[in-house]
Amino acid sequence: MLAAILVPIIIVVVIIVVILIAGVGIYNGIVTMRNRIDNAWSQIDVQLRKRFDLIPNLVETVKGYAAHEKETLEKVIMARGVGMQAQTVEDSAKASNMITGTLKTLFAVAEQYPNLKADQHFTKMMEELQGIESNIAYARQFYNDTVLSYNTRIQTFPGNIFAGWYKFITRQYFEIEEAEARGPVKVQF
Amino acid sequence: MYERIASNRRRTTFIIILFVIFIAALGFAIGYYLDYRYSVSSSYSILLMIFALVIAIIISFGSYFFSDRIVLGLTGASPLLREENPRVYYMAEGLSIAAGIPMPKVYVIEEQGMNAFATGRNPGKGVVVLTRGIINNLDDEELKGVIAHELSHIKNYDILLGTVIVILVGMVTIISNLMFRSFLFGGNRRSSSSKNAGGGIFSLVFLIIGLILIIFSPLIAAFIRFAVSRQREYLADSNGALITRYPAGLANALKKISLYSEVRTANNATEHMFIASPFGKNTKIAFSSLFNTHPPIAERIKRLQEMSLGIGIKSEAEIASEVKTENAAEIASEDEIAD
Repeated sequence: MLAAILVPIIIVVVIIVVILIAGVGIYNGIVTMRNRIDNAWSQIDVQLRKRFDLIPNLVETVKGYAAHEKETLEKVIMARGVGMQAQTVEDSAKASNMITGTLKTLFAVAEQYPNLKADQHFTKMMEELQGIESNIAYARQFYNDTVLSYNTRIQTFPGNIFAGWYKFITRQYFEIEEAEARGPVKVQF
Repeated sequence: MYERIASNRRRTTFIIILFVIFIAALGFAIGYYLDYRYSVSSSYSILLMIFALVIAIIISFGSYFFSDRIVLGLTGASPLLREENPRVYYMAEGLSIAAGIPMPKVYVIEEQGMNAFATGRNPGKGVVVLTRGIINNLDDEELKGVIAHELSHIKNYDILLGTVIVILVGMVTIISNLMFRSFLFGGNRRSSSSKNAGGGIFSLVFLIIGLILIIFSPLIAAFIRFAVSRQREYLADSNGALITRYPAGLANALKKISLYSEVRTANNATEHMFIASPFGKNTKIAFSSLFNTHPPIAERIKRLQEMSLGIGIKSEAEIASEVKTENAAEIASEDEIAD
């Protein structure tokens, strides 16, 4: 008699507990993934900042040899300024692409100045920049991978239910716009 | 990936427990044997078991905290500095960013054989070890493939399991060898002690268990390594290819490595850590394929080639021409003379 009442109650309680535990697990999983994105973003940010720090030195050095290439130099400085002001991932990505583009022009210009190319300081900065550029590419890859798995999680069942309840929003990829920039960036000098 | 980490942690715990039980059982078996032989009341067995238990626990803790340093010492690896080899240093830096782990330390073994492994107990303490031969003979894409392979071992905690196994399995092998010898050469005296009639059956049972443990311990050791290592090489290959986004790099690297992968400082205990068997092709021992911890390198290359859709794969001739084979052949023949 007692068992007849207790058994259904126990079953219901067990089911509720299982659902709760699963729910907590899924919620925590999504939050963990979101935190991973922030961590991945900070990896990109570190590399972008390294490049911001390098640019003024680079521009100064180029100025010493090619002062009248004012336009190119100003573009680089301007792109750097935009990058430092960027608040969102999209803006950062745009600015980063712009910096890469203007630096390419700068190196093309530098090609015409043998003295500049021979400058040890310049060569060293070029190498450093090459390293930073490839690290940006690697960091972008990791960031985009992380965003991909997070976005997939909150767009598919059962993550999408939690996304609705707790306002998890999809994150933006750090994208390359120019078609020619898809692939490893090679800095030639 | 994250299930893999949990699984590796679980396995490490399991193996440590297994090790402690194994050593304690061995201690008990020896104790029982001594009791039996000298027919003292069973005090040796308990004493030795407790002693063995304490030793085993100390060794287990030690292997968790110090095994990476022991492994580096065993293989004769020394740190590679940025100034000395910026190419490798920046490669490791970039790839670890792509893998999303802290940059590991890079060590180098001064040997011409092409091989590599990773060690450490977590990604924060990761170490990638490369031989001089692999640094010199591989081009950038290939070396990136190898480093990415090692980074994925670091990322999913294969290194924790692998490194702890080196110490524990190494220890079991040494102990079982010692035991086996002492039983073989000390066993005949047993017949003279016919005093213990009461505990005879039990003693015999434990003696047999002890003997079984001892005879099978090399097999157990081999089994442990076999159980942990084969699939994870495939996994690290594909995860590595995912990091570099270029499976052909690792495929070409493995082709080169298969030409000459001998590392003379490697031994039975460290063998399973390497990217390819450090004993090279001259493992012609019976059942060697059964106990080989590495999947056939040809199969790994095949899988990577399929992944790459054939893009960027080098022909055998190209591979052969890029490796300084004279050098390799020279060293290989030196080895034969030395043996």
